[in-house]
Amino acid sequence: MITKTLKRLAWALLLLAIQVLILDQVHPWGYGAPLLCPLVVITLPLGTSRSEALLWGFGVGFVADIFAGTSGISSAALTFIALIQPPLLALMAPRDSEEELRPSFSAMGRWNYLQFIALLLILHHLVYFALEGFSYFHIEDIAISMGVSFAASLLLIILAEHVRNPKK
Amino acid sequence: MHDFIERITAYVHWALFLLLEALSGFLLFQYNHYQGSVWFTQANTAAAIVHEWEAKAISYLRMPAENAALAQRNIALQQQLDVMRHELALAKVDSSHTQKMQTEVLEGTTLIPAQIVDNSVRKRDNMLVINAGSDDGVAPEMGVVSGTGVVGIVSAVTPHYALVMSILNSHSSISCRLRGTEYFGYLKWKGGKPLRAYMDDVPRHAQIKKGDVVETSGFSSVFPAGIFLGKVAEINNSSDGLAFELEILLSTDLANIRHVNVIDNHNKAELDSLLTQ
Repeated sequence: MITKTLKRLAWALLLLAIQVLILDQVHPWGYGAPLLCPLVVITLPLGTSRSEALLWGFGVGFVADIFAGTSGISSAALTFIALIQPPLLALMAPRDSEEELRPSFSAMGRWNYLQFIALLLILHHLVYFALEGFSYFHIEDIAISMGVSFAASLLLIILAEHVRNPKK
Repeated sequence: MHDFIERITAYVHWALFLLLEALSGFLLFQYNHYQGSVWFTQANTAAAIVHEWEAKAISYLRMPAENAALAQRNIALQQQLDVMRHELALAKVDSSHTQKMQTEVLEGTTLIPAQIVDNSVRKRDNMLVINAGSDDGVAPEMGVVSGTGVVGIVSAVTPHYALVMSILNSHSSISCRLRGTEYFGYLKWKGGKPLRAYMDDVPRHAQIKKGDVVETSGFSSVFPAGIFLGKVAEINNSSDGLAFELEILLSTDLANIRHVNVIDNHNKAELDSLLTQ
């Protein structure tokens, strides 16, 4: 149990470091940066209690906020998808899957897992960009930022998942 | 009773969810004001130290390109200087007069060099953090410039760092004028492209053409007059149709700068006290 938690913590810290040190500096065409942090919540294994998922979401968001200067925005968005991830995973995981299945392309099937990632990522980005653009004009700009960031994040997450679980 | 407790624990995650979202909301509204966010966000020492390591690494990696750019700029400036000297000699004007004027502009100001350790251009309200703070003589309301022009205004300081409101911030408003004329206005950024800003309130009878240079007006104590801001890219009508709104191509690419200088105007306090009277 403790080893698993430590492993997950290391995974979260690695993603946070990549987010803070590299991705926060990348702005495709001057618009939204890709966000990799949602992957911590997306990959929580089947059977994670909803309360535990919420704490992971909030914790990762809180740290990401401190470094990106977006206080409250990432934590709100990640907490939101952390509420949805456990029941969504239970719904979309194959029926005969093992008890602590960790979501991945091989465990859930390519198309199924892609849908799972995209759905959670869209919800995350909706909350994130709605809060970030809160008091501002230019709704088109917010929509473009969201679209660019969503596409970049999705590509990156797929890439990260392939690096983590290379085909055997 | 047992049933009751079970039912309560089944819903505990909803309570936790509401609590955490409320906490996020609190952080969002409490610390997204510039001054209030200083201790929590980028200028906070822990975050600033990490960003400084990162900035050092990036600065090291970019050194060859930056050196090349500096060398090119140096050569261009030397050539300009040469042309100017030549013209001065031709005009047979006493060159000590020009030198005197130059020193007069910068008299009473000190430049404090600093490096940017954290920067953003993608938000609506961009801020940057520099590694010079109150211990180096930096104070709020001081202007920040780079070799290519205006960067922003210091909004808060800690002993070793300062939070700077970038010109790419919807709250930023810099008094500016068209070079060679006395037409002035305010330079504002409306989000979107990091190289496009707007100068409003330019009267309709002003004779403007694309490519005209926009510089600081010197009407505030933050920037001395004549610091380069950018060039006129488009001339549009203001929303009420009574004035021109100029689209300005900014001279400083804020997505790609590292070294800046903070302007310490020794006469600032005196000037400010006059303006508030």
